Amino acid sequence: KTFHFGACRVSMSLAEIRAGFTAIKANIQSRDPIRTLSILSHPHSLHKVKSADRCCIAHQLLTFYVDKVFKHCRTEDSFVNRKISSIANSFLSARRRLGQCREQNNCACGEESTEKFKQILANYEGLNVTSAAMKSLGELDILLDWMEKSR
Amino acid sequence: SGELYCSLPNPKNVRFESINMKNVLHWSAPEGTGDGVLYKVKYAVYGVGKWIRKPECRNINRTWCDLSSETSDYEEQYYASVKAFLNGTCSDWMETTRFNPLTDTKIDPPMVSVSSTDRSISIILTAPEKWKRSPEEESISLLQVYPGLQYNVSVLNKKTKKRWLFSISNHTLIVPWLEPGTAYCVSAQIHVTTPLLDSGFSKEHCITTLKDK
Repeated sequence: KTFHFGACRVSMSLAEIRAGFTAIKANIQSRDPIRTLSILSHPHSLHKVKSADRCCIAHQLLTFYVDKVFKHCRTEDSFVNRKISSIANSFLSARRRLGQCREQNNCACGEESTEKFKQILANYEGLNVTSAAMKSLGELDILLDWMEKSR
Repeated sequence: SGELYCSLPNPKNVRFESINMKNVLHWSAPEGTGDGVLYKVKYAVYGVGKWIRKPECRNINRTWCDLSSETSDYEEQYYASVKAFLNGTCSDWMETTRFNPLTDTKIDPPMVSVSSTDRSISIILTAPEKWKRSPEEESISLLQVYPGLQYNVSVLNKKTKKRWLFSISNHTLIVPWLEPGTAYCVSAQIHVTTPLLDSGFSKEHCITTLKDK
C-alpha cells in the first residue's frame, strides 16, 4: 500500500507490520505499568499534525523507532523478539525510502512538528531507556493508526 | 482513599466488548460470592493522569457497564477498572488491557439491498454506522473511520449452486450475464485490511431474475 506523507509517497507493508504488532501487543503492553504517561499521544496528539508537516514527522518517527526503540526491546521470549526484528526491518526500509524522498523534496519541518517531536523525545527521556522503549513499542498502534489515515 | 482492607475475591475477565464502537465493559462475578455483590467502575484515557469514576455504574449489581460515551474518541486508547463490594469488604481494582477502539471493535455485516432485471442483479451495500449517543447525533459511517474498507460479496445461483465471489471497494455491484427466471442469493461481508477487521457475512438476500421477454 502507498502512503502519502506530505510531498512524499512511500509504499509500506502496513498490514504485515500491524499483524506482527497485534501478535505481541498484549505481551508488550503488559510490560508497561504506567497508564498516566504516553510517549506519542499526550499532550500533543499525532492526529493533529498538519499535512504539510507529515513528511518530516513521519521520517523523524521512523528514525526514532529505529534508533531509540527497537534496539532496547529485547525480551526473554524468542517469538516476541522475532516479531520485533521483523517490524524493525520494515521500519528500516520505510525510513530509507522516505529519507530519499525527503531529500529530493526537501520536506520542511514546520515549527509545530518540530515542537511535537521535541515533546515525544521529552516523554521518552522522562523514563529509563528500557521502560521508555517498551512503552514506545506498546504504542506502535498509535503510530500505525496515524499512518493509515494518510492513504 | 479511605477504603477498607480488601479481602473479597476479585472480579474476573474484565474486558471491553465492542461492536461498531459501542464499547461495553464486561466482567465476571468474583468466585464463591453468590448474590449481593455490588460493583463500581472507573476508566482512564491512556497517557492522561487520572482515573474517572462512572457514576451510572456505581453500586450496581450487574456485570457490565456501557462506556461507549466515555470512549467514543477513537484516536485515544483507554483502560477501565472494576471493584467489587460485599458485606463491608471489597476486592482489588481489576483492570482491562489497553483498549484501542479502532482495532479492538467488531464490525457488523453490511446492509444489502438487491434488485434484478432479466439478466442481471444490482446490489447496493451500506456499511454500518459508528455507535452514537443519540439518534439526533450526526451519523458517522464506518467507511469514514476505515478508509480502506472493502466488501466481499457472494452471489449463489440457487439452481446450479454455482457461487461467485467479488471483492469491491465501491458500494454498488451489478452482476451481468445471468440466467432469466432464476433465483440468486446474495450475502456480503466487510473487510478492512489495516487494521485487519472482518465482519461476518450478512444473511442471504434472494431474488429471482425476470423471465425472458
